Amino acid sequence: MTASRRAFIQTLAAGGGALALGIAFPSRAAEPEAKPFQPNAWLRVDPDGTVLVRVGKSEMGQGVRTSLPMIVAEELDVPLGSVRIEQASPGPDFKRLGTGGSGSISGLWDPLRQAGAAAREMLVAAAAARWTVPADTLTTRDGFVLHAATQRKLSYGELAAGAAQQPVPQSPKLKERTAFRLVGKPAKRIDGRDLVTGRARYGVDVRVPGMLFAVVARAPQLGSKVVSFDAAAALKTGGVRNVVQIPTGVAVIAENTWAALRGREALQIEWSESPHAAFDSREHLRVLERAANAPALTIRKDGEGRAAFANVARTIEATYRYPFVAHAALEPVNCTALVTADAATIWSATQTPNGVQGAAAQLLGFPETAITVHVLLIGGGFGRRLGVDFDREAIEIAKLMKGTPVQLLWSREDDMRHGYFQAASVHRLIAGLDQNDRVVAWEHRKASSPHNARRVVADADKVNPEVVGGWAWGVNDMPYHFPAAEMSYAVIDSPLPIGPWRSVFSPSSVFARECFLDELAQQTGKDPLQLRLSLLGATDPNVPAVVEAADNQIDRRRMRKVLETVAAKAGPASTRAGVARGLACNVFHGETYIAYVVDVSLRPNAPQGKLPFRVERVVCALDCGVAVNPLGVAQQVESGVIWSLSNMKNEITVREGRVEQAYYSDFPVVMLDETPLVIETHIVPSDDDRPHGLGEPTVCPLAPAVANALSRLIGRRVRALPVRSTDLAPQPTESAG
Amino acid sequence: MPRRSLQINGKAHPVEADDQMPLLWVLRDLLGMTGTKYGCGVGVCGSCTVLEGGKAVRACQIPFAAAAGKTYVTIEGLSSDGRHPIQEAWLQEDVSQCGYCQPGMMLELRALLRAKPNAGAADIDDALSDHVCRCGSYPRIRTAALLAVRNGGGR
Repeated sequence: MTASRRAFIQTLAAGGGALALGIAFPSRAAEPEAKPFQPNAWLRVDPDGTVLVRVGKSEMGQGVRTSLPMIVAEELDVPLGSVRIEQASPGPDFKRLGTGGSGSISGLWDPLRQAGAAAREMLVAAAAARWTVPADTLTTRDGFVLHAATQRKLSYGELAAGAAQQPVPQSPKLKERTAFRLVGKPAKRIDGRDLVTGRARYGVDVRVPGMLFAVVARAPQLGSKVVSFDAAAALKTGGVRNVVQIPTGVAVIAENTWAALRGREALQIEWSESPHAAFDSREHLRVLERAANAPALTIRKDGEGRAAFANVARTIEATYRYPFVAHAALEPVNCTALVTADAATIWSATQTPNGVQGAAAQLLGFPETAITVHVLLIGGGFGRRLGVDFDREAIEIAKLMKGTPVQLLWSREDDMRHGYFQAASVHRLIAGLDQNDRVVAWEHRKASSPHNARRVVADADKVNPEVVGGWAWGVNDMPYHFPAAEMSYAVIDSPLPIGPWRSVFSPSSVFARECFLDELAQQTGKDPLQLRLSLLGATDPNVPAVVEAADNQIDRRRMRKVLETVAAKAGPASTRAGVARGLACNVFHGETYIAYVVDVSLRPNAPQGKLPFRVERVVCALDCGVAVNPLGVAQQVESGVIWSLSNMKNEITVREGRVEQAYYSDFPVVMLDETPLVIETHIVPSDDDRPHGLGEPTVCPLAPAVANALSRLIGRRVRALPVRSTDLAPQPTESAG
Repeated sequence: MPRRSLQINGKAHPVEADDQMPLLWVLRDLLGMTGTKYGCGVGVCGSCTVLEGGKAVRACQIPFAAAAGKTYVTIEGLSSDGRHPIQEAWLQEDVSQCGYCQPGMMLELRALLRAKPNAGAADIDDALSDHVCRCGSYPRIRTAALLAVRNGGGR
């Protein structure tokens, strides 16, 4: 559980009769206070009563423009509708912006509450001064300070100027949880109407007077470089203004996107021989499998570890395979940049505004203060927009087109082939059982590529258990208790760029682990729920209730309660022929506890590209501490379910150093007709008084729950993603002997 | 370059463009109407869906030359006040996550309800299953679409 974070709050000069507070808070509890005062959030109460909050969180569908105002409005005691979120741009006043790790709400919970409560106390103090009554005789409600005894009231807007003169309380009193009026109640998206009228402006919608449009021709094979190019034909294409070489390829700059795309087709480029021309993703998986077959770098050892297998009655083993996967956000990555002699302005739908600013400063040799970054709405982030590779390209182009704003767009095929990817991995799971079929030894070996897209991974890091352990989410932070366990990781680099992808290192590891538990249950004749509960200490008081695992604190009682809830809500399994049930669970970062029950049937004649099965019903139970916006929680569950189902049917493959997929036709994602008819979300009441993330945690346990149901349906184990219709087809019966 | 008049959202727009330029880019880059989204450019994802004479079409597949003389409605013109029953249903059910696919989804539904005002769940699944939503707003699209049917979204 994370410690609460103290925010430092100061009054800012605002003028115009507003109360403005700057809020500085560390991104981690242990980080020291920055000097001089550098607010990373900002709150203003205007004379008309409007409340503006400026934070560095990008909206990418996760609903922060609604949930963050809820937190402020709660403590400030204003109606939700009077709070507006402004997107902060990085600058001297705004450092450490960024959106990722499912941390928007959990990271801003303390600072925004403290800021809201501080502003409220200052408004109350202003009213007390005006009426010359003690502050503790005043109450607040819906944007007013009230004096019950005299039935007087003043609006926050009227009090804002006076409040700005009040001292800032450094430890304002926060509301008790039972007094919440907004937090914990479903709230619809504040900016919903912009999203349904076409008014919402995403990165790709930036329009600046005089702008041009660019696309880049990139190496068809991994690692090739431009040897030479002939731009003559491209320059003759209508609307093409310029063709320039940049580090990643050749850019065509034109009057509109289509002209740029057409110009690119006319380019003649000679590429250097690819150093990875032999790279094949199928062979890579075989390399990973060989690596997983032997113990590698130990990243966690409990009890005797692997040695305990010497004394087991029998072992059960299985190997799980997981492919490369793309983000394939619907808005392809893009960036608009204007570079002048000594300054730059960048418009980007980014998860890392500071990263963009830093990259621009470095590429242009300008101080960061000369770089303005405007953060736009994101048409799907999923971790892809933590990279600044596309921003860099736009800046490189704009640098060569000084004074002209240029929008760089990655076409769909660019986005599918040239980004970074979820890593492929292979997992070898081994369980040692005693004579009573109790699991007494556990081994999980993972083989996978490190994140190599955004930085070079040092060789020393690849054999450093501390560093590699940090990549082993789902392996070394598993919630179950085994008397002996050993987890190891074989780091096998891949020339295909690898980077953050919704739930990062977890999905393959949780898939393998939760499928293997189901195998164990099946082979030992146990119920999958009861097996999990017992491994979480339900029947054995000697199993510690709370365990430290990989820097996370896991409370097994919370996991049990979530599992019991999901089972109760799911009710008895269907007795219909052809329907099977699957279960899986996970604890994400020691913070969010989640379990799924799914009812699944086969779809043998599914058309090409469609799921070869139907998920009829999904029941989710979760404990995320405080559920700030239960409607947002349900949406994240629905989103995680669909995301994970897509993960069950698509993959990125590489042949001769070339990514083979280009469109949604060869990287199919789940569509409306494959969507489960029922997705229920049950929020388990929690004693944890802090909110925790959901964007990523909702992804991990869904695919294994479905695979477990499929395994029961077809009578053999499903151990690899994607799941193809041929994987589920009846097999010819093997002859005995 | 040919100059033609395009009829969009009840207004004539004079445009000069290459005859092959897809309507998608005419709208977005020449007319600044960015509500119509680019998602794939090959007619697969559905995010550039607009209405052509009331029928749902993919703007990335319609050359400028073919667009002249036809009547188009984009998301900006679905209603004058942003309160078409489909838009209201979308807000009521809180459909949008990132929202990028929703203009295409709503216009596809508009076309369906124009042809079939009492469309049922199966019709909706049929009509909208060629549209990508990567956030997974589909369950809410289903309920919102049925609500739009009840609220006269076909009128």
